[in-house]
Amino acid sequence: MHIQYGKKLKSGPGLLGLYLLIFWAAVALAGFFLTPYAPEAYAGKAFLPPSAAHWLGTNDVGQDLLSQLMAGARTSLGVAIGAAFVSALLGALLGAGGTLVGGSVERLTVRMMDVGLVIPPILAAMLAAAYLQPGSFTLIGILAFFFWPGTGRLLRSQTLLLRESGPVTAARTFGAGRWYLLRRHVLPDLAPVLSAAMIHDARRAVFLEAGLAFLGISDPLAQSWGRMIQQALAFTYLDAWSWWLLPPGIAVSSLVLAFALIGTGLEETHAAD
Amino acid sequence: MRISRLLTDYAIAFFLLCSLGFVLPRLLPGDPFLAIYGEEAALSMTPEMKAEIYRRFALDQSWGTQFVAYFASLLRADLGWSYYFNAPVGKVMAGFLPWTILLAGASLLISTVGGFVLGLESGSRKGSRWDKGLFAGLMLVGGVPDFFVGALLLLGFAVIWPLFPLGGAVTVYGGQAGWAWGLDVLRHLALPLASLVLARMTTLYLLCRNSAALLLKAPFLRTARSKGCDEGSIRYRHLGRSVLLPAATSAGLHLSHLFAGILMIEVVFGYPGMGTLLHRALAARDYPLLQGILLLASVTVLGVNFFVELLYPILDPRVKTACISNTERS
Amino acid sequence: MLQIENLQVAYGKEEILHGISLTVKQGETLALIGESGAGKTTLGLSLLRLAGDTVTGSVRWQDRDLLKCTEEELRDVRGRLVALVHQNGGEVLHPLHTAVEQVAEAVRVHFPVTKEAAKAKAAETLAVVGLDADRHRLHPHRLSGGEQQRVLLAMALVNEPGLLILDEPTSSLDPPGKAQVLRILESTLRGRTNLLITHDLATAATVADTVAVLYSGRIVETGPCAEVFASPGHPYTRALLRAYPDMTTFKDIQCIPGHASSGVPGCAFHPRCSQRIEACAAEVPALETKTGGRAVACHRGGIVPMLEVAGLKKQLEGRTILQGISLTLYEGETLALVGESGSGKTTLAKTLMGLWPADGGTFRIDGKDGWARHQFYERIQLVFQNPKEAFSHRLNVGEIVREPLDIHNRGPKAERDGKVCRTLAEVDLPSTENFLRRYPHQLSGGEAQRVAIARALILEPKLLIADEITASLDAGVQARVIRLLMRLQDMRGLAILFITHDIALARKISDRAIVLKDGCVVETGLSSAVFTNPVHPYTRQLVEAAPRLHRQ
Repeated sequence: MHIQYGKKLKSGPGLLGLYLLIFWAAVALAGFFLTPYAPEAYAGKAFLPPSAAHWLGTNDVGQDLLSQLMAGARTSLGVAIGAAFVSALLGALLGAGGTLVGGSVERLTVRMMDVGLVIPPILAAMLAAAYLQPGSFTLIGILAFFFWPGTGRLLRSQTLLLRESGPVTAARTFGAGRWYLLRRHVLPDLAPVLSAAMIHDARRAVFLEAGLAFLGISDPLAQSWGRMIQQALAFTYLDAWSWWLLPPGIAVSSLVLAFALIGTGLEETHAAD
Repeated sequence: MRISRLLTDYAIAFFLLCSLGFVLPRLLPGDPFLAIYGEEAALSMTPEMKAEIYRRFALDQSWGTQFVAYFASLLRADLGWSYYFNAPVGKVMAGFLPWTILLAGASLLISTVGGFVLGLESGSRKGSRWDKGLFAGLMLVGGVPDFFVGALLLLGFAVIWPLFPLGGAVTVYGGQAGWAWGLDVLRHLALPLASLVLARMTTLYLLCRNSAALLLKAPFLRTARSKGCDEGSIRYRHLGRSVLLPAATSAGLHLSHLFAGILMIEVVFGYPGMGTLLHRALAARDYPLLQGILLLASVTVLGVNFFVELLYPILDPRVKTACISNTERS
Repeated sequence: MLQIENLQVAYGKEEILHGISLTVKQGETLALIGESGAGKTTLGLSLLRLAGDTVTGSVRWQDRDLLKCTEEELRDVRGRLVALVHQNGGEVLHPLHTAVEQVAEAVRVHFPVTKEAAKAKAAETLAVVGLDADRHRLHPHRLSGGEQQRVLLAMALVNEPGLLILDEPTSSLDPPGKAQVLRILESTLRGRTNLLITHDLATAATVADTVAVLYSGRIVETGPCAEVFASPGHPYTRALLRAYPDMTTFKDIQCIPGHASSGVPGCAFHPRCSQRIEACAAEVPALETKTGGRAVACHRGGIVPMLEVAGLKKQLEGRTILQGISLTLYEGETLALVGESGSGKTTLAKTLMGLWPADGGTFRIDGKDGWARHQFYERIQLVFQNPKEAFSHRLNVGEIVREPLDIHNRGPKAERDGKVCRTLAEVDLPSTENFLRRYPHQLSGGEAQRVAIARALILEPKLLIADEITASLDAGVQARVIRLLMRLQDMRGLAILFITHDIALARKISDRAIVLKDGCVVETGLSSAVFTNPVHPYTRQLVEAAPRLHRQ
């Protein structure tokens, strides 16, 4: 099982996904300095169609839609990557680490994951979000809290295999400690499974963040594509939908698609091994 | 996992969920009553009501007693009082529930059957133009969030081409009965149903497609062919039967995703189901109502999950205990 | 009657079957044998168009060419008129349907019956093949290998097909399971036309009437099963039989040199064949019919008889030593010549070597009886019992071994020396200067005998007469020499006329045996028959008197 890092995504779909992701990452980064206007500022008259001054037009209170879109990219990507990373971290520590430690610790972590998997994450996230009115960081925490059992379970089953493998057993005969084993032998071999799980979590995070924003449960201060869609939906009878509703919708869809394609591409690359 | 352990896991999950509903409002600073009911409620309630609630939920006593009272009331199916509707939470929910059951049931049925059949047909023809087209199409659609699909369909078929009504479940004050009423219901159901099905079918489709493609090389297919079976019966009776397992369990386990979808779609179309109810409760900060809905939804999902896991050994006789692999759970 | 003509099957660009022609008569069972990878399963499957990308040729069954049918017509045939019993392995049975359901499906696909009726018929057939009623409703993973095989058999038999194709029906089973299935096969195959595909020769021997041998996608031999197994015509068939551990033969199992590979020009077997000639690499031999319903595909007409003796008579000093001896020794075979001292064994050896002329009868070596001198000695050589007596005490090892080359003036000196070293290596002797300079009296018994063999081999004969060559050696040394001879037989196809009075040894190393008494042949045949069930009283005497290590 020779794992190579930096293995290119062989398939076409995977590459397409990667390009999409890079595109949105660039937009998000640009969103820090390069928005034509501040997203919250009242930059012009309401319901302006796209023009040179406002590439995507303005919304019902005159805010520039392009700036909002770019800022929204920041939120979506930030939440997605944050949730994926924290979930991966928890999954690795508790899932893989717990399995390595063994004994009652292992039993405890397995129970935690079993129970965590049974709780429907989306509903519980909504409940938590409704009460806690989370800012972006809290949202990352909430999402990660409900995502990590899935990742943890996956990592656990891989670790179970590795735990009994030759290299690990040999290292233990040299007196290697758990941390060393985790760092040197287990984590590197977990990379493919971990990356697949992270892509999956990122995808769900984008979905959930947009959904929660759409419902109005998430941070009112953060710009979000979901909220743009929610606002746009209230004015369907006007022509404004074509430049207000569509861009954020396409943005969310393409970002989710990007992650999905990368995930499929990774699958095929690993299947080809 | 043995059944007893499965039961314990689910029981613990249920307990935790209920406790979440108990703990969360009390985490906020201030009077628990305010936390549970919110400021607006506190303002609009009569003193008698307030007193009644304090008594029922033991709000002026220690957390321990409150907890017991909370669970006791849950077991009584007393979910609290909705200040927004000014009625018991249970009664309010009962009014909105049937529409959701209709929408949820129909979409579950169609997306399951559709995903299965399309996935099977696609997988058994993997690489052909049909398959590539279906795959590309559904991947694209699957990436779109449910509410956006709904919004697009709404725009497309209710605003630009007004083929379907803009929302609601029935034409209010239409005064129809019998067949006409049924037809009216169907017209209103069409777009929300279509949105849900489109958004939800992808996961099952992908799963069935992959399973079918993998199993195409199975030797028992050639055995069936040598008996003289035609391609159709091979695809469904032999290939399909083997794909049925992961498909059925996946469908059951993704129920919670369906609920999230229902919520979004009902909001988009103004469909008077639990989703809209939830949305209104969120907006009005009617916490008891909120909790009641989410609890009901969770219990349903938990229940379905539990039965699906129990069902597994029946669907696949090779599995001795009720146990599901990791990938299918999440 | 099943008639396959010029069947060619290819997967993509790779051709697996290169023009197969076979006939299975009505009511007959033909066993198709060969190694894995030869294409046996492909053949079975392609008859019903279930394998291969390109299939050409014709497969005629009951006046219908199966390869030219439409898919619908074929579907009608499959499972009803022609049924396939698959090789059990992996998931050949659907894991999620019960046994009786799968057998019933075969009925329902072809006949408009109710589910219950189909299940009843299925249960009936399952009972016939010996599956207990309480196992019918189980899923395949709960059944043992033998039971699964029986389900597969029932699936094929339930519609009473006229032609049954069985693919390795016993290979996945342990011996008791095999025996059970064989018993069932014996009864169910009767009266039907069957094509049995197997690599298990014992199965073929038990149930088949005729046999066809497949090598590298071509048929190399066909014929009645018992005859082919007793007297194989093609070198490959003989090699297959020799490699098969059997309760009736005593000769060590021999392996086939080289390995099967594809894309070999000419006869596919020729790189591994010990009797190949130039034509073998050039052209593919056609399957030629011989007498007795047998056919062999070989440019040399099958296994070549190296030595054919007919009515050989010899008189010495007035006494008739040999009274009309007839025997045949085939290429690559060991014929044991057994008899007491005075029976005429050595006389026969010397007569065959041409040391004195015969007084009657004829013999032919490699097909001819008038060879030029050097050609003769290239074909037949003799090794005596006492090597040291056969060496000149004045010559050293190198000179001894080189002598035949010197006599016939073969090649420049350097080449001769090279040959000497190589031949010494073949008999496991060193070719160092030191050893080459040794004199006979400095050699041990075993070494001397091996030097003698090396000398006999240096002209590369195809026929070796070994006259009691191990009689004066220790058992350990004898074992070494014998193994050497067997190895040479494997590699070069050396035909050995092994003269001995040791019955046990004869039984161990020979394919056929001949018993000589007072100059007459009293018994001849396969070693396994002659030494296990001797007919002639003299043979019986010899066998009983043979020494045994363990008291019974």
